[in-house]
Amino acid sequence: MDQAALYTLLLGAWTTAWISAVAIAGGVPLGLALALLREARVPAVGQLIVLYVSLGRATPLVTLVLFIFVGAPLLGIPLERYTAAIVTLLLNTAAFNAEVWRAAIRSFPQEQVDAARAAGMTRALIFRRIMLPQIWITSLPGLVNEMTLLVKASPAVAVIGIVDLTRATNRISAVTYEPLPPILVAAALYLVVIGTLVRLQRLLDARAQRLAM
Amino acid sequence: MATSAPPFAVEVRNVSKRFAGIEVLRDVSLQVAHGQTVSVLGPSGSGKSTLLRCINWLEEPDSGEIFIAGVRIGVRAGGKTHMPDRDLARMRARIGMVFQGFNLWPHLSVIDNVTEAPIHVLGMAREEAIARAEQLLEKVGIGDKRDAYPYVLSGGQKQRVGIARALAMNPEVILFDEPTSALDPELVGEVLAAMRALAEEGMTMVVVTHEMAFAREVSDEIVFIDQGSVVERQAPDAFFDRPQTARARQFLSRYA
Amino acid sequence: MNKWEILWHHRGMILDGFESTLILFGVSAIAAFLLSSLIVLVIRTGRGPFGRAVRGIVDGMRMLPFLIYAYLLYYGLPSLGVRFDAWTAGFIALITYHAAYFAEILRGTWATLSTGQVEAARAHGFTTFMMYRRIILPQLVLRAAPVLGNQVIICLKDTAFLSIITVRELTAAASAVQSQYFIPFEAFIVAIGLYWLTSMLIEVLVARIGIAAEEKGLGYKRAAVRR
Repeated sequence: MDQAALYTLLLGAWTTAWISAVAIAGGVPLGLALALLREARVPAVGQLIVLYVSLGRATPLVTLVLFIFVGAPLLGIPLERYTAAIVTLLLNTAAFNAEVWRAAIRSFPQEQVDAARAAGMTRALIFRRIMLPQIWITSLPGLVNEMTLLVKASPAVAVIGIVDLTRATNRISAVTYEPLPPILVAAALYLVVIGTLVRLQRLLDARAQRLAM
Repeated sequence: MATSAPPFAVEVRNVSKRFAGIEVLRDVSLQVAHGQTVSVLGPSGSGKSTLLRCINWLEEPDSGEIFIAGVRIGVRAGGKTHMPDRDLARMRARIGMVFQGFNLWPHLSVIDNVTEAPIHVLGMAREEAIARAEQLLEKVGIGDKRDAYPYVLSGGQKQRVGIARALAMNPEVILFDEPTSALDPELVGEVLAAMRALAEEGMTMVVVTHEMAFAREVSDEIVFIDQGSVVERQAPDAFFDRPQTARARQFLSRYA
Repeated sequence: MNKWEILWHHRGMILDGFESTLILFGVSAIAAFLLSSLIVLVIRTGRGPFGRAVRGIVDGMRMLPFLIYAYLLYYGLPSLGVRFDAWTAGFIALITYHAAYFAEILRGTWATLSTGQVEAARAHGFTTFMMYRRIILPQLVLRAAPVLGNQVIICLKDTAFLSIITVRELTAAASAVQSQYFIPFEAFIVAIGLYWLTSMLIEVLVARIGIAAEEKGLGYKRAAVRR
């Protein structure tokens, strides 16, 4: 594989990386917000969120990204490819993250909340100082798991013309007529990135288990 | 707000509560004067803990009223609407609570557990809160554990941190919910000693406990609750030596 | 004709695509599960290089995006003289990829089973294979039902990736219909609705299995308590 091909691959890898990073960075807090809104028990909102999470987890990313990219302009929202891709990944990952956060919030020991209430803390203070620092740790394995799933699903953006790491291999083989080498290199790059995330997740899992004892 | 000096630190009037169809508290009334130590005794499941948790509105009574230093808790002055979270928090800041399960915050060190509420609820300056916390930890005998995390402490040590944490808020009254029930027998003594010292200093205390000797020595009044009702209310010696009701006699024969 | 009417008029394309999706997903999920049952047995009982190799492949698959794997099979293998058509490549990709995931789930669940029953089975003369099929595997399925169900839904969603390697499944059909007749919302809403419906059905099935599991005390909730 020559220089130009390698360059195309690395550019594709960079595209995958930054799009994924933005979606992850937005999706974690968005998921938390959704989980909190749901626990706040405002009647209509809670059910809407349940609906959103259910749809978000059932819809393939490819279908969703096409839907958003093609559909948004018709609603008067001009959306260029990268924005459409990031919005799609964000909506998708937030739905999964909402469930991870929700599980952590639900399983949080009520006794600590009682002690905080007894000490005169408001709900907001309790969440900020007592709950969040701890559910952050228990949620981490689930959140990192979702990050690996996001990176693995990110090639879906290729379908709206973004040259990510996967589509870069098409570009290269269109010129060289040798698809195998770039695909193998791309696979290796994915393995390295996702492998690191998986290792991180195992570490966090072990740590969360120790803290739970 | 009361205009004259309120007569009672805690006043409970005709409080009733049901849990899942079972009447846990039936028309309970109780008064605790400033500086008094009241011990609430009774068999398991008699509603003692629920009563205590109603006083700082961790549980909400179905009917009745509760006053802290003359101010009604849980409900807005005038009656029907619930007290907003912030006002409730402010009232709770004046009531301390020590829990059977200690309920320390595991992600904070001992000193941080004690300074957390003073700093973030009372707005105390950090240095002042720390100085006060160190003083209190010394007082309950665990000054040396200041930087330790809860998970390394014994039950007795954790509970003493709990007591220091409650004291750090300078409360008008402290509620103790079976503070030694979860402790190994050897560790009970150190906690009771700390509580005794507090009573002698004039802290207003409401204690739910099974420690009969302690209740007898330290309390100003015994309130005996059985099946959700106040059955007897007497001075300690009178209660233990000359119980007036059959149920109290039955209870004492099993425990004393 | 309003847009919904247009969609209804061309519903055949969408339904054909949905049928393809269901066939791809259904056959692959079942085949992947069967394959994974064998893989887990190999991993648990195989010592030496073969067991390790299988373990390594399973781990590797779980760190690879599905689409790049499908690319490898469809675009890459022809360079080595192995040529699959899109459908075949799609099936092979779905089956082998998800077999690795099912295998990991089953393997993890196996570790939570109590060990004494294996000894009891051997003492009663069960061969390894018999014991696995009649005693271990049913318990694994009962206990891991929710996680397996999740993975089955992921298998359903992965079929959409195959539209990129020219398989005419539901997403490809919706895309074709909407671009030909200018009805993007209607076409994709129906497609998403069909995916959603299918995954709801899977979750209902999983819940049923979960209830059966709880009745026998073999559910995952009991497992957590026991540990």
